[in-house]
Amino acid sequence: MLQEIIEVLISGITSGSIYAMMALGMALVYGVTKVFNFAYGSFYTMGGYLAYVVYSSGLGHLGVFLITLPVLFAAGWWTEKLAIKPLRKRDDWEMLAVMVTLGLALFLDNLHQVIFGPFKKSIPALVEGQTHVGTFVFSNHDVTILVAALLSMLFFVLFLNKSYIGMSVRAVAQNPIGAQIVGVANNRIFAYTFALSAVLVGTAGVLLVPKYYVHPFGGWDILVKAWVITAFGGMGSLKGSFYAAFILGIVEAFVGWHFGLTWTIFAWFTVLLGTLIIRPQGLFGTWG
Amino acid sequence: MRQDLKILIGFYSVLAFWPLFFHNNPGIMHILILCLLWGVVAASWDLIMGFAGIFTFGQVAFYVIGGYGSAILTRTFGISPWLGILAAGGITAIIGILVGLPCLRLKGSYVALVTFAVHMILEPFLKSEPGRAIGTGGPQGILDIPPLTFFEYTYNSMEPVPWFYTVFIISFISLFIIYKIIHSNWGLAFLTIRDSEVFARSIGVNDFKYKLIVFAISAFITGMIGAVYAHYVGMMSHRLLGLDFFLILMVMLVLGGMGRFPGAVLGAFIAVFISEELRIFETYRNVIFGAMVILLVIFMPQGIAGFLFSDNKLKSTRNLMTLMNKKLSKL
Amino acid sequence: MLEVNAVNTGYGEIEVLNDVSLEIGEGELRILLGPNGHGKSTLLKTICGLHQPTSGSIRFNGEEISKLTSDKIVEMGITYIAEDRELFPEMTVLENLKMGALNRNARNKAKKNLDYVLDLFPRLEERAKSFASTLSGGEARMLAIGRGLMANSQFLAIDEPSLGLAPILRVEVFNKIEEIHQSGCGILLVEQNMPQLAEIADMVYLLEEGKIVFSGDKETALNNKDFKEAFLGI
Repeated sequence: MLQEIIEVLISGITSGSIYAMMALGMALVYGVTKVFNFAYGSFYTMGGYLAYVVYSSGLGHLGVFLITLPVLFAAGWWTEKLAIKPLRKRDDWEMLAVMVTLGLALFLDNLHQVIFGPFKKSIPALVEGQTHVGTFVFSNHDVTILVAALLSMLFFVLFLNKSYIGMSVRAVAQNPIGAQIVGVANNRIFAYTFALSAVLVGTAGVLLVPKYYVHPFGGWDILVKAWVITAFGGMGSLKGSFYAAFILGIVEAFVGWHFGLTWTIFAWFTVLLGTLIIRPQGLFGTWG
Repeated sequence: MRQDLKILIGFYSVLAFWPLFFHNNPGIMHILILCLLWGVVAASWDLIMGFAGIFTFGQVAFYVIGGYGSAILTRTFGISPWLGILAAGGITAIIGILVGLPCLRLKGSYVALVTFAVHMILEPFLKSEPGRAIGTGGPQGILDIPPLTFFEYTYNSMEPVPWFYTVFIISFISLFIIYKIIHSNWGLAFLTIRDSEVFARSIGVNDFKYKLIVFAISAFITGMIGAVYAHYVGMMSHRLLGLDFFLILMVMLVLGGMGRFPGAVLGAFIAVFISEELRIFETYRNVIFGAMVILLVIFMPQGIAGFLFSDNKLKSTRNLMTLMNKKLSKL
Repeated sequence: MLEVNAVNTGYGEIEVLNDVSLEIGEGELRILLGPNGHGKSTLLKTICGLHQPTSGSIRFNGEEISKLTSDKIVEMGITYIAEDRELFPEMTVLENLKMGALNRNARNKAKKNLDYVLDLFPRLEERAKSFASTLSGGEARMLAIGRGLMANSQFLAIDEPSLGLAPILRVEVFNKIEEIHQSGCGILLVEQNMPQLAEIADMVYLLEEGKIVFSGDKETALNNKDFKEAFLGI
């Protein structure tokens, strides 16, 4: 029994690490550009499909990482520059931005379906097989996921705190006027942020392909979960999203274990409602 | 008479004659009936989003709830479908209010997400055990919804003309109601909330109250139409919640122009027309639709209505002033 | 160094600046006075690229800057120090200062400038690791100025630095500004408290209803009847 509980816990932590990547990307975009990117889930599937395409052309796992990241970056960058930036000058830009990203999401998802067909696709894991530690069995891929996710986030945090671009991103999120004053090119930072978030969520997509496969409309679950996590953690708060991701990952694991997997979506929904009603600003509520 | 009503009446007058030419073509009649129905759904979405400025993505959910609502009521309790339609509207209105409650204090995008989450959770609910228990029919849906009857006559889909005119009347009345609301004090309040919540509160407009009102109205009408649809096609399935319908509704709204009556209605007809023309492309159809939404939002955010009407920017300030004067004159 | 010529600008349909012209020579300290709401902040913002002029020209060291974006203007050596300070609340004092040195010209001099700023404002050194949101009014004001100095600019546009400060602090701030001026920086200062500044200004401008209604050196200003009436209420 204890063994089972620990296994569920570890599973929850592993999910949590991936969720943290996804949530960070969303918190980043929302905190900096104040745009809610409905196409976020589609970038996730894009990552998965890119991995599939690259791997299938024989370039191996290394090829996957070398190629998918820049492509995702470019996708995010151009999305902001072409689809969001032109909207900013209008009064109703928020609503239009939501509509345009929703349109983009549906466009991408259907495009994926047209290109790859409706059935799931997969690639093999970087490290197959299992490791035994005492009585515990770990899937090597899960370990890879956990390590990769944590490393990515480490880089991300270092980037935000130590590099000038990273600090510019934080500056724009905290005070766009102040950012302009010190000479930040806000428009470029917006594009950068979108690009970064695409990389974060797309990488999550790449990491999860061997485990959960990729299919055209798989991004919507991701969008909703990422959003519930950021709302729970405090919309736009990176620290909040980070902790919330692990908390909810663990909660999801236990709900799934105890009540069955079909109940997990109701659990997410309950967390969402609970947050909105009891504490709408989430756990942490400001930008960190 | 105002320009927007003129356009609506003109358009519907022309429509009224179409069965004369197409009554022998069930395919076209079916599409026309859907257009009449969906035009109202688009208009009620426009009411809450374009006029009241609330980003909701729950419209399809309301439609489906209305459809299932009437289906379940008429099957389980044997009530008349007409009553079922009204009752479904009522139920959906209540759910609309329940959805609106948590959204009252939330900002723009958050509301979009809550309502979208409602949409996303509806599908698993309909397929689930509790859903089945109230009669949703689980994954198969409901297949034998009682048809409408009118005295001795039982509507059936083999004879589209009576359906056409019935839906025509229902549709026109619904749109007229929406028109009336837009040009009433409620409509002014909605615009005020859309343009500046802070200002609205400062002149005593209770934005919470009006947000709930618009949620209720929009949900009621949409739910009712969903119920009419249910009795028309005779079945309801959770598949309606797939993003296909959602996407075409979006195209309608963006094409027609948000916040300009009856842009959404015109957008509906055009969007369905385009959708039919694009059928030859099969799977590419949705890709094209998605691209259309993106391009329309970027290059033609005013939609068709932008070409039909003069600039509305001044209008909103004028509206605020009118409302303020009305409020002040009550002092 | 800085030439503003016949600049007009506004917000939407509301015109704020009407045919405004002024200039600042290298290393000069000039003061912009005027009643509140008449366009002083707007003028500073327009010079610094935070607002676009509808017509007119602004030249800095001979180059036209009126159409440039704010980041380019900062790079050229102009820095705006806002009345509202506009600090980064979730960053520490040190991080805020570091951000001040963002532009390319300032980065390699960041260490040197940081020492200069902390020397100039010892209180900031004491609070180096505190978050900007926890600073008092005076400390925030100093941080705003300090951050502006980190940009290694030749020209500072300072907007009401003494607003809301206790008299002792006000004197301190003005002394610091004079120190900065002495080190060779050109300054256009917007302020309310004229008498103290009379000693250090090279020239004074009076902006009323978006127009420059008076310009002259401090002697002329203090001897001008209209000026004294309009502004000092004498």
